[in-house]
Amino acid sequence: MRNRIAELRTEHSWTQADLAQRVGISRQSINAIETGKFDPSLPVAFRIARLFDLTIEDIFTDDQPPT
Amino acid sequence: MQAHSEATSYRQSNRAAAQLALWTLAWAASLAAARFGPELWGEQRSVASWAAVGANALVGIAWIVAFARFLRALDDLQRKIMQDALAVTLGVGWVVGFSYFVADAGGLVAYDVNAAAFPALLGVVYVIAFVVGSIRYR
Repeated sequence: MRNRIAELRTEHSWTQADLAQRVGISRQSINAIETGKFDPSLPVAFRIARLFDLTIEDIFTDDQPPT
Repeated sequence: MQAHSEATSYRQSNRAAAQLALWTLAWAASLAAARFGPELWGEQRSVASWAAVGANALVGIAWIVAFARFLRALDDLQRKIMQDALAVTLGVGWVVGFSYFVADAGGLVAYDVNAAAFPALLGVVYVIAFVVGSIRYR
């Protein structure tokens, strides 16, 4: 799953640690989500979306081909 | 959906980790008391010895509860790394344990392995699996 978290974080001039603290997860998790190594749970995705005042679909894109 | 306070979550995670560390120390101390106590106070089957064993079991139960709370306090990725490491540890313990059991039953093992080697092996496997998981998601 691709996402725009790094781009949005940069727009707000936040470090990964800043975002991690605001979302309530570890900096390691933010890094893994940004690099696509780890997909966040739905509650975390909602918290990230709320923080940027966007919808989940505005931030996360499913790159799996439709079945 | 559960309401979430970021600062509270971070504090809960730290508190759960601190409590787990304290219960781990308490369990190790109670295990040492149960194992070496009778030698120190010179009584092999005394009430004190049974009390030490019982205390070790009770502290062990508290340690399990603390570990479950610690897992719940972690975030998704940390919990995944921890659970992957636990799965590897369980698998290695299962396979190595039964391999040794079968080899021993077949008379293939020339000497008895110290039982303490097994939990030590599990500890080493767990630490390695945890470090590998942490590096993978670094």
